[in-house]
Amino acid sequence: MCRRTTWKNPMTDPDKPLLRMQDISMHFGATKALNNVDFACKPSEIHAILGENGAGKSTLMKLISGVLQPTGGRIILDGQDVRLATPRVAQNLGLVCMFQELSLVPDLTVRENLLLGAPGSGLGWLRSDALVKARDVLDRIDGGHIKMSARVSDLTLPSRQQVEIAKALMRKPRLLILDEATSALNASVVTKVFDLIRAERDQGSSVLFISHRFHEIEALADRISVFRNGERVETFDNGDHSYNEIINMMVGQRIDELFPPKPPARADAKEVLKVENFSWDGRVTDISLTVHEGEIVGLGGLDGQGQGAFLMGLFGLLRTAEGKVTVAGKPVSVTSPKAAKQPDIALAFIPEDRKTEGLIQDQSILENLQLAAIGLKDLDASNPDLYQDTLERLELKHGGLELPVSSLSGGNQQKVVLAKWLALKPRCLLLADPTRGIDVKTKTQIYSMLRRLADQGTAILLLSTDYEELIQLCDETHIFYAGRLVSSMRGDDMTAQNIIAASLNVTEKRKVVHA
Amino acid sequence: MSRTITPDSMMPYFGTVVLILAGSLYFPQILTFDYLSQQLQIAAFLGLLATGATIVILLGHIDLSVPWVLTGAAILSTALVGSGNPVLSALAVPAALAFGALIGVVNGIGVAILRIPSMVWTLAVNSILLGLAVLNTGGFNPKGEASQLMVSMASGNVFGLPVSFLTWMAVSLAIVAFLTRTPFGRYLRSIGYNEKATFLSGVSTPSVVFAAFALAGMCSALGGVLLAGYANQAYQSMGDPFLLPTIAAVVIGGTSILGGRGGLFGTIGGALFITLLTSILSVMQIGDAWRSIVFGVIILAMLLFQAMRKGARS
Repeated sequence: MCRRTTWKNPMTDPDKPLLRMQDISMHFGATKALNNVDFACKPSEIHAILGENGAGKSTLMKLISGVLQPTGGRIILDGQDVRLATPRVAQNLGLVCMFQELSLVPDLTVRENLLLGAPGSGLGWLRSDALVKARDVLDRIDGGHIKMSARVSDLTLPSRQQVEIAKALMRKPRLLILDEATSALNASVVTKVFDLIRAERDQGSSVLFISHRFHEIEALADRISVFRNGERVETFDNGDHSYNEIINMMVGQRIDELFPPKPPARADAKEVLKVENFSWDGRVTDISLTVHEGEIVGLGGLDGQGQGAFLMGLFGLLRTAEGKVTVAGKPVSVTSPKAAKQPDIALAFIPEDRKTEGLIQDQSILENLQLAAIGLKDLDASNPDLYQDTLERLELKHGGLELPVSSLSGGNQQKVVLAKWLALKPRCLLLADPTRGIDVKTKTQIYSMLRRLADQGTAILLLSTDYEELIQLCDETHIFYAGRLVSSMRGDDMTAQNIIAASLNVTEKRKVVHA
Repeated sequence: MSRTITPDSMMPYFGTVVLILAGSLYFPQILTFDYLSQQLQIAAFLGLLATGATIVILLGHIDLSVPWVLTGAAILSTALVGSGNPVLSALAVPAALAFGALIGVVNGIGVAILRIPSMVWTLAVNSILLGLAVLNTGGFNPKGEASQLMVSMASGNVFGLPVSFLTWMAVSLAIVAFLTRTPFGRYLRSIGYNEKATFLSGVSTPSVVFAAFALAGMCSALGGVLLAGYANQAYQSMGDPFLLPTIAAVVIGGTSILGGRGGLFGTIGGALFITLLTSILSVMQIGDAWRSIVFGVIILAMLLFQAMRKGARS
């Protein structure tokens, strides 16, 4: 296996990029995850990628690591066009990715995981000499306690991340992609990981580094590229721009006509939903908030900071959740979705994944519409009037309600989910990122629908990964970080800068700390 | 909601007609009323079991405890009758049905609460029931006899039609109504397609699972009662030959083994087809080994045909 040596053509020109992406586009249906992006990574550099959720960072990484194939454009490695048809091809070319979703097989041991797909394995004997490098990496990043024979499912999350790092580095990458690679590690381990990454760079490897922690990027990156809405905004050397300038680049400017105007706050608005000291399993801690009649209250933060679990808990999906929930002045105990939808509580929940959680793809549009209403007293699920109003307002495009719901586009599917729940006339609507991956027109329709419902007295709790939604649509926004509510803002305080800073848990005072 | 009759569910009926016509070329007596009526009588036993299996399979699960629920119900009912006490004797059929429902609830606990895959859980329950039956009888054939009611349910005739067939049809009609006109039926299919989305729509999915397994257990028990009436006794392992044909009847009837899609109309055809196939194969002068092989091949061919039709459509 002399791959590594054949690659090592002497680098005559250090400015000649190792990897270039030219005019790269990645479209998922109508969604443009990346649009005509040019991007280059030089040899021996640590290149940080910054951007909001959905800016296209992860898509870019997936293209480089061969998980996805671009819908347009060229990928050029060492001046030659390459086609990265599978992750295996990319790895053989020295492009190794460590994903933020951990890629270890829980039921295998550390050794087995490290050898999965390792260079030289495949058919034939496993080569355990590759493990020497992995062991060395683990020892250098405080992973000395991790035994090769330990089952991955028995390891803690930080240990698993250390194994991931070892797994990536033992493949001797030319270009190493670290996608939120250190999110679970504590500060002292992170420092050691960084030393290791710098050592890799000094030996000639390049590193693409994605992180939401500014101080990490400040400490590590040579150059920084900022992405926004599937486009690369700018690339510059670390230190050329201040923290505020970088955040402004990430935010950009957009037209606000997408959103309906906000009515002035009503002083006499009644409390519809009141949550006090809500906690669950160490992942959601001590959340208290109130939603008044006519209000849209936003929940923001980076992915997986507990805001999703909080919504699920309110809907009775988390068995061990604690806390006091009051709906319309009455304390309630919501133990299941069935209890939640009864008229005396009347909560509705629009789950995050409409394809598998919100709808039954094999059933017809009509059957999906009826599923929540059916079996409820005082409600005739077979009465089409229950759904007609919502469907007309949202302009559902369909070729007949008896067709399977899978025949609809994503945006139209979400309209069905909404209509199904609005048929129950919920007192409080819980939405988990309802506009993710949906076209702009449908978004606008959903926004004005939500505002209209709020005006009619429905309390709305909206989880969003899009801060524009939080700013433009919501009357109040709460930001989650590590399971806690770290910041609540109203009115003019809701700015992109404030939301991003709160999401990263950096305020001007304490910009670093969290690790 | 008249989707109960689909091309898939018509398949076994065509197959049955083909079997009758082709069979009558060699054995003209197949076309007699007596023969066909006897087939309806026998098909009812399989049909009742398959009715229960359809419910569970629509739910996306499977019930492998059919053989020993059947046997247990047969042993229980004949033993009650055999006690000679008129009260116990009258309770024989209801007790057997209650037994079936009880085992169904046990199955429901495993599947809905403990979240053990139904294939494993119901197989274990089947094995436990076997053990209990052997403990109870000491390994000998159980004592007892069938009551007059059981005998006439299994072998009687009304208006020239076998009572067992009429019973089967009555049960089927009742369950079809239950599946198409109540929320339960909608929940059942929805869970079969996507349990998570159904639960998130505010459906108490565990209660649906319980009810489905309990109904299936009662169907198996009723099958056992009829078989005991037919043989005028219960015997060990009387249910064992029924497991594969039961599932085959459901699947041939166009019900997806993955849950959600299908219905009882097809299952009725499936039970008729398999009963007739078994009967014709047994009147043909071929050895047991070949009979089993031909039986298996024909069932595979039916399923293959369905799969190809589906593949051509999409």
